[in-house]
Amino acid sequence: MNTLFRTTESPFLQYLNQPSTSDRRRRISSLPVRIGLGRSTRTGLAKTTTRMMASSSSAATETVGREVLKKGIADFYDESSGIWEDIWGDHMHHGFYNPDVQASISDHRSAQIRMIEESLSFAGVPEDSLKKPKSIVDVGCGIGGSSRYLARKYGAQCQGITLSPVQAQRAQALAAAQGLADKQVSFQVADALQQPFPDGQFDLVWSMESGEHMPDKKKFVSELARVAAPGATIIMVTWCHRDLSPSEDSLKPEEEKLLNKICDAYYLPAWCSAADYVKLLQSLSLQDIKAADWSQYVAPFWPAVIRSALTWKGLTSLLRSGWKTMKGALAMPLMIEGYQKDLIKFAIITCRKPK
Amino acid sequence: MRLLTHNMLSCNIKGVTNGFPLRLEVEKFVEKEVDFSAEFLRNIFPKIEWKALVDASRSMGYSQLPDEADSSMLDSDDFLKKFHHALLELHLEEGVLICPETGRRFPVNKGIPNMLLHEDEV
Repeated sequence: MNTLFRTTESPFLQYLNQPSTSDRRRRISSLPVRIGLGRSTRTGLAKTTTRMMASSSSAATETVGREVLKKGIADFYDESSGIWEDIWGDHMHHGFYNPDVQASISDHRSAQIRMIEESLSFAGVPEDSLKKPKSIVDVGCGIGGSSRYLARKYGAQCQGITLSPVQAQRAQALAAAQGLADKQVSFQVADALQQPFPDGQFDLVWSMESGEHMPDKKKFVSELARVAAPGATIIMVTWCHRDLSPSEDSLKPEEEKLLNKICDAYYLPAWCSAADYVKLLQSLSLQDIKAADWSQYVAPFWPAVIRSALTWKGLTSLLRSGWKTMKGALAMPLMIEGYQKDLIKFAIITCRKPK
Repeated sequence: MRLLTHNMLSCNIKGVTNGFPLRLEVEKFVEKEVDFSAEFLRNIFPKIEWKALVDASRSMGYSQLPDEADSSMLDSDDFLKKFHHALLELHLEEGVLICPETGRRFPVNKGIPNMLLHEDEV
């Protein structure tokens, strides 16, 4: 399970390393702007970006694309958080299951908690009272499920950041209702690419299924490292595409096509691989870098989400929630397809900041 | 937003070197009673920028914190109670956080700060 992925040279890394203008034009498909286009100009995102691309420089286009993406993410979660919470509770991440098990709906909540515990264990976060984390940041905190869980587990102070004002409010309300707010958890509307914290604040830097939303993986990882205190543990659990083999320059066209459809529905920028993350962590001189593919442990999740959407409660809630949420729901079979084709990987990548 | 949070927020606009601490402009604040835990306070004390806490609590109308503090004071019950009150019980519900270097204003609504930067600030 503890496999360090081979560090293959992927085209995405060229983007990450600020290539020349001609390279950037070639890699324009990595920009969040382009992803929404897919092969058609159906979506509003696509129409806006087509006009933008025609008239501005690539740097300006990228900035506009980022703003469009951030707004899209915020709106998506503003709209769909409520229905998710209603059916699935306050953890907006995959459960961790024993392989090949058919999980019942009641197993899922404990599987989501198990995902948190397995991640902490994989990363080797100390539990003794001297070394356990005292301050934690939850990057992409959703409605605060992880924040509250971690704050309680370690008796620590936890800050959560999200792009969605609705989520931040809900996270705060839930913390208050559970008697945590005033001491231990707080939530801000903020961008993971510009975390509003001074350097070296946190003993544990937690990113549970938010990395896939970040349009600039290098900046995302740099910020995680920046706000980590010396000796801190950084944990990323995120959706990746498969590692490329040494002979490959990019994913196959049909693989890109499938990912593009998923990006459109979930407001995701270009995907990268776990190997790309490992390389970024290495470039920042982080230590104890570990990565693993947990796809087999999350396999029951999407079928379960689809089943929950097809219940009476699920369908009526979807119809009431809005088009963004419905589009997200319709894209769920694409996630299953991606996993079955070994294209999508559920990855955990952890490391430590040097003392 | 309680002052524990304020003590950890800074303005990271591109080029800013002095983005901490943020000044407070208070429109509405409340005092909430919070369970007292000496252990929590002792654990968090080393991470607190004391002057920032003193100034912030003064802008919320609370002037009982000493100007300076060191860890020996954590043995005093009286000090711990004042520390507890300033850090955890004063909540900014509506107002503004202001960058000390650029004057940029970050709104606080219903207790939640919005620290999102504009395109030209990153």
